[in-house]
Amino acid sequence: MDQEHYSTMRKIILISMILVPVATFISILGIGYLSFTRTIEKRTVANLKGIVKAHRHMIESFLSERKSDLDFAANTHSFEELKNQDFLGIVLERLQRKSVAFSDLGIFDASGLHVAYQGPYKLTGKIYRDEEWFKTVLKNGYYISDVFSGFRNAPHFIIGVVRHGNGRTWVVRATIDTFIFNHLVESIRIGKTGEAYILNAAGILQTERRSGGGLLEKSGDSQNYPESREDIQSFILKDVAGIEYLYTTAWMKNNKWRLVVRQEKADAFSTIRTATYISILIIITGGALIVGIAFYLTDRIIHRMELLDSEKKQLNQQLIGASRLAELGEMAAGFAHEINNPLQIIKSEHSLIKMILSESVEAGKYDDPAGLTEINDSMDQIELQIGRCAAITQAILKFGRQSDPCPRDINLNELMPEILKMVEKKAGVQNISIVPDFAEIPLVIHGEPSEIQQILLNLLNNAMYAIQENPLPHEGRITIKTERVSDGFVKIEVQDNGVGISTENLKKIFSPFFTTKPVGKGTGLGLSVCYGIIQNMGGSMEVESDSHMGTKFTIRLPEAA
Amino acid sequence: MNEMKLMLVDDEPRFLETTQKLLLRKGVEAVTALSGEEALEKLRLTSVHVVILDVKMPGMDGITTLKAIKSRFPMIEVIMLTGHATVESAIEGLKSGATDYLMKPADIDEILRKASEAYANRQRLEEKIRVAQMRKLSGSPRDIIKDS
Repeated sequence: MDQEHYSTMRKIILISMILVPVATFISILGIGYLSFTRTIEKRTVANLKGIVKAHRHMIESFLSERKSDLDFAANTHSFEELKNQDFLGIVLERLQRKSVAFSDLGIFDASGLHVAYQGPYKLTGKIYRDEEWFKTVLKNGYYISDVFSGFRNAPHFIIGVVRHGNGRTWVVRATIDTFIFNHLVESIRIGKTGEAYILNAAGILQTERRSGGGLLEKSGDSQNYPESREDIQSFILKDVAGIEYLYTTAWMKNNKWRLVVRQEKADAFSTIRTATYISILIIITGGALIVGIAFYLTDRIIHRMELLDSEKKQLNQQLIGASRLAELGEMAAGFAHEINNPLQIIKSEHSLIKMILSESVEAGKYDDPAGLTEINDSMDQIELQIGRCAAITQAILKFGRQSDPCPRDINLNELMPEILKMVEKKAGVQNISIVPDFAEIPLVIHGEPSEIQQILLNLLNNAMYAIQENPLPHEGRITIKTERVSDGFVKIEVQDNGVGISTENLKKIFSPFFTTKPVGKGTGLGLSVCYGIIQNMGGSMEVESDSHMGTKFTIRLPEAA
Repeated sequence: MNEMKLMLVDDEPRFLETTQKLLLRKGVEAVTALSGEEALEKLRLTSVHVVILDVKMPGMDGITTLKAIKSRFPMIEVIMLTGHATVESAIEGLKSGATDYLMKPADIDEILRKASEAYANRQRLEEKIRVAQMRKLSGSPRDIIKDS
């Protein structure tokens, strides 16, 4: 499989592993967040509305109580009685006993003349006929003013009631202390920034506003309030300073005053903000977690796939290698067989020449003794070389033989010398001595002789190769030892003093296609095939090696029963 | 006792020729055949004691030829000549009645030795048969009459 395939696969897995949980996660969180904020908003608004309602009630009660107080005072006393300054003082005292908010009390006749006054100011004798409040009182029968400064330059509001009796009309007026009134409204505190104030129809503050804005100042934002005649309304608006507020307003005093409760939006919805922060935090950490896990798992999956694929590839290669090896063996066998026919002819011809020659010599037809010696030497050489060729083809035929294994009992003492004979020549050429150390008792194992032969030839050839590769000058020696070990096993040791195997390579030595030989020199199959054969026989193969000190292969095979 | 007479069967003419010459020099007469068919044909016409038969031949192969020889001329000894890869067929040949087998490349002396052994074998067998017949003869004249 190519790299591109893996990266596409990786992308697909990653995307699905991230998108699916993230989408679910975000939609759950989003729905939860939305319903949470809605609930909080509704509850906050409802809460504010409740406060507004309660306070309006309180304020209206206060105002109506004061008016009732005044009504009571006006009804229980006649104009003549109230005209009396001292009596008025008593009445004021009585009123003040009911509410400290009453700061003064005055009586006016129909012409607006201030007939009597009891309070901190000297107002007696003033004419109020043209004052707006006086006109309204006469017209409506009672009047509660907005807060104003009036003659005394101090904020106050007044309650006036009209009485008719004994053929005259007169007005009783009381001033309500704004501080006390102020206190009532100002006492409303919600959260950090929640406050309440009263505006008149013109948007002028009737009470002090905690966040700024003194009594009788313009509120600055009332013109922006939505035009709605709803009893209680709630809206969000930016005030003059640009801060968003959640407003809740209620009309009172016959739509002349407006009770405003407002709280900075951020403050009112601070729980929402907290929830938002928490949600963002959850999204970030959860998202990171999902992405992290997705990457980790994807990497593992892809890695695993790569591993499986490479294993598959290796297996395929191994199969191809094995079948190629079989083909090669078959080819070699055929080839060797074909060589044997010409060899047979050469041998016959050689015999014929030799025979004719000896006959000629015997008959005295040949009288060149020196030449004869040379010819005989050549003839011997030809015979020798034919023998060599025959040995080679026989070896090839043996190697390439494709017969079904037919395991039988093998005496290693008989098989081993045969095997050694096969490599003797090669070892001799390479100046390597092979030292046999065979057990004296017969060591019988159960197996296919050609397989045992294959294993040992492989090990011996490897040993010779290792000796050749050793850069240190030394005398090559291979020790081959057979021995019976106590637990029903036979041990074969092949030890060389060759170049040795590095620790790193030692781990891979039995892996198929692992070879340290140059390209084309080794298939890397030898030891793995040996390993497989030994495993199948119920034995084991181990290797020990020291760099430059040589290698020792130890094979253990079960003894034949 | 008759002189041993050999037949060489192989698809290599030069091998036949040279071996024939060699045998002749060793004092053994040999006929040659290039194929199984030719061998069977010649066996019908000439008397041969031992056949040296190549296992691998084009056309009629060694084993088939062997079986044919053994069925038609049971008293002829056959020695199989084989390359190594056909050792199995040589063994099969032994099972089918061949006396022995030789591995290529075979030495002329080896060929001759095995052939002589086979011939001696055959002689012994023939001797036994002759002795048995003699006994029969001397045992009861009636039997001879009966036999004849």
